[in-house]
Amino acid sequence: MLEPVLGNSTVEKVLFALEVYGQVYPNGLAKLFGISVNGIQQQLSRLEDGGIVVSLMAGRTRLYQFNPRYAFLKELKALIKKAMQFLPQKEIQKYYRNRTRPRRKGKPL
Amino acid sequence: MIIDWQKVSIKKLAAIISGHLKKNGIEAVLVGGACVAIYSDNKYISYDIDLITNSSIKKIIPVLEQLGFKNTQSRLFENPQCRFLIDFVAPPVSIGEKPVSEFNYIKTRFGTICMLTPTDCVKDRMAAYFFWNDLQSLEQAVMVAKRNEINISEIKKWAQKQGEQEKYRIFLKRFKQE
Repeated sequence: MLEPVLGNSTVEKVLFALEVYGQVYPNGLAKLFGISVNGIQQQLSRLEDGGIVVSLMAGRTRLYQFNPRYAFLKELKALIKKAMQFLPQKEIQKYYRNRTRPRRKGKPL
Repeated sequence: MIIDWQKVSIKKLAAIISGHLKKNGIEAVLVGGACVAIYSDNKYISYDIDLITNSSIKKIIPVLEQLGFKNTQSRLFENPQCRFLIDFVAPPVSIGEKPVSEFNYIKTRFGTICMLTPTDCVKDRMAAYFFWNDLQSLEQAVMVAKRNEINISEIKKWAQKQGEQEKYRIFLKRFKQE
């Protein structure tokens, strides 16, 4: 989809996940997409260096989110949203419809 | 010029770095916490010199090496004798989605610092307060606003545009307090 513009498919997946889930962490994305944590971390670092995402610690996990101060955020998000409309339903269901609402500790998933 | 890297102040260091970069054809703008430190006369202490430039890191590396600063991570430079970290933040210079085109130039005998104006420095800190509810940033905005000439109506208009009237009111109340 946006791979020719972004350079690779991993960064595209990372951006789509950020758009859908708001906050992501490398291990979670690696599990979700079946990609190595290193590959995900590399792309998140690249995005952070470019000011597109910011990260903060939550306990021992580094969470990433879009940088609300990024000058082109509105335009980038519009592009991501548009590109996501062209994703096959199967892919949307598999990667971008994970449960995000709370679930009490101890209840089976 | 002999520089005592252990005792150098943030303003002097920003001037030395800016001057040295400029001498080598690299224009850079000082942003972030260092601006707050300078505008608050060090009431807020920052150990980061955040600079924005359109020059490549490749071009910067040999220039800062002349001052003993080594490129330790992608955009970070460190000198083991100096407590300050130099970070080249990704361009452009912006407050949210608006580009910044007016800067403040502070001349020192070590070099000229090109930096955010006090008004933009306040907006920059308030943006962090708006987005992350960071009270430390609110305090920094107040510190800068109290000690410098700022355009309060511009800040008000900008805050309204961001839909943050309530947080602007909190800022104003703190700003007007003794």
